[in-house]
Amino acid sequence: MGSAEGGKVGEKQILDGDSIASLFKKLARKDATWDRDQIGDVLHWLRQVIGLICGIVWGLFPLTGFGWIVVFVALSSAIVYGVYSLYLRLDGEDFGGDARLLQEGFFASMTLFLLGWTLVYSLIHF
Amino acid sequence: MAAARYGDALLIVAISFVSAIVCEGISWVLIYRTTNYKSLRSTIDRTQKKIDQMKLQTSTPAVTKSKSKKMDRYEVSLKESSRDLSLSKFKSGAVVAVVLIVVFSLLSSLFEGKAVAKLPFAPIPLVQKMSHRGLPGDDATDCAMVFLYFLCSVSIRSNLQKLLGFSPPRGAAGQGMFAIPEQKMK
Repeated sequence: MGSAEGGKVGEKQILDGDSIASLFKKLARKDATWDRDQIGDVLHWLRQVIGLICGIVWGLFPLTGFGWIVVFVALSSAIVYGVYSLYLRLDGEDFGGDARLLQEGFFASMTLFLLGWTLVYSLIHF
Repeated sequence: MAAARYGDALLIVAISFVSAIVCEGISWVLIYRTTNYKSLRSTIDRTQKKIDQMKLQTSTPAVTKSKSKKMDRYEVSLKESSRDLSLSKFKSGAVVAVVLIVVFSLLSSLFEGKAVAKLPFAPIPLVQKMSHRGLPGDDATDCAMVFLYFLCSVSIRSNLQKLLGFSPPRGAAGQGMFAIPEQKMK
């Protein structure tokens, strides 16, 4: 079923089927049909957004100490799990297992979080 | 407001951003726009989707022999095309490595022995080897250029690749680089 607004998805997405915007619209619509790449990509970008926001918020307060990294990891994994299994009601097994879905974009979001946290902390408080 | 003491950090982020764009540009010119890459990439995606669909169907107990043979054939073709894919990336990998080394040595000469940022946490000793490299004193929260550059290049490059659709397909490298080839249980 071609989504009505699919139309011209945009030239730069030559390889990837869906652009970020269309994926997040699909998320908002609580669409039930996802293939492995779509759910992987939307969870990747979701992780990056959470990483950036947490990095900035932790840096502004500032929250300092190694423990806050653990808090970030737990919080972002809980949000990602909540989105695909509670909100979208998807079963992780259909997409290669929960571990695979929770890994999507994890390392990149971790470095993005640490970068944002360090930059905001260094620039605002010194 | 006096110039922020760690203003150099932003310069490092900017330089990493530019070098990431240059690296992806090189990879695009050398690989991603070539027809060979595109056809390889679409065979991988197509085969992966077929395997996924068959995996969903074979959950029924009455799996016919031909179906599992077909699946084996798909998996073999998936492995072959992903191997060809990584071979084709080798060429640009060398050029990209040269760019990264040049940028890294430029940054090292600019920021040798200078703390470019303040870490809001004290890293574990292993990480300190990178985050405190070449810095005087022993304040673990001082951050050397090496660590900041590492954070920048990983987060910026992987997200840029994802955005441009250059990230490795899930089917091929989905099992990670060290995928141990499972023995086929008969």
